[in-house]
Amino acid sequence: MGADVIDGYVTDLGSRLRGSKRQVRDLLTETRDSLTDATEAHLGRGLTEQEAQRRAVEEFGPVREIANEYQAELAVAYGTRTLIWLAVVLPLMHMAWEYGRMLLIGPWQDFGTRPPSWYLVVAQANDLTSGIASGVALLALVLGRMLARRYDARLLARTAATISFLAVGAVLLGNLAIIAATAHVDPARLVQSLPMSTASLITWTVIVRLGLLARRCLSCATIVG
Amino acid sequence: MKPDALRGHLDALLLATLDGRQLHGYAIIEALQQGSGGALDLPTGTVYPALRRLERAGHVVSDWSTVGGRKRRTYRLTQAGRKALHAERDAWREFTTVIDGVLGGGGKWAQT
Repeated sequence: MGADVIDGYVTDLGSRLRGSKRQVRDLLTETRDSLTDATEAHLGRGLTEQEAQRRAVEEFGPVREIANEYQAELAVAYGTRTLIWLAVVLPLMHMAWEYGRMLLIGPWQDFGTRPPSWYLVVAQANDLTSGIASGVALLALVLGRMLARRYDARLLARTAATISFLAVGAVLLGNLAIIAATAHVDPARLVQSLPMSTASLITWTVIVRLGLLARRCLSCATIVG
Repeated sequence: MKPDALRGHLDALLLATLDGRQLHGYAIIEALQQGSGGALDLPTGTVYPALRRLERAGHVVSDWSTVGGRKRRTYRLTQAGRKALHAERDAWREFTTVIDGVLGGGGKWAQT
């Protein structure tokens, strides 16, 4: 019967948390350890097992309040993870794609018909969007660490989630724009070689992955009360 | 002491508790309670998010290690954490000197 008090508390706490599975597991392991230690301390003071566990849980705090504080930290951690992905993966993806294009297709001027100037503007805007998105993510990571103790975790989590969502949205729009522009100029270029189609598929897989991360990041940040 | 009064000082209290030693979560809670003579009355569960916040700020690092036959997460100060503790102590001394000058009974306010 006594063991149910700690089990019930930890299970209830776990059911309220969203975030990286490993981080949630770590927090719950620490919680269980702390409650077990407190129970042992109360047993040493002469309480029964059940009383000791009940006292330990009371001292730990109301589950709703503690879950809220834990969730804020989990949301910040998820936001940090998403921003790292954005800061690292976007430049890598861009470099890989550009290198692949130069290797397999060659410079734009080597095309039989040079693309119109507006097409190059769209291409450059797409490159710039990716660079800005990754730069903003990097800046947010640095500022987030510097301001970690000055600002509430809930605010930092929501800011990280918003930046991630906007960054992924901008990258998505940039890529859609270049596809639409290419389809307008010369649809055959979209499917001209298997390696480039594979590179495009990888790019879209990464964008979808980033989108899922950003969505989960936002959901972790918005369930914080 | 009321939890709301402590919350703003929790980071500094945790940094001071970890000064020169590596402790797991419950040992930190015990040290806080012993250090205050049992006057610190904060929900113990709030210590863990605060430790994560300090870790995020780079003031604390944690490792999983086996203590007393059980796997536990232990925390220790970083160089930045020691600097932050130093700054917290200076700020606290300045704050208490100013407040004590007014509330302590020896100032001009007490004499009027």
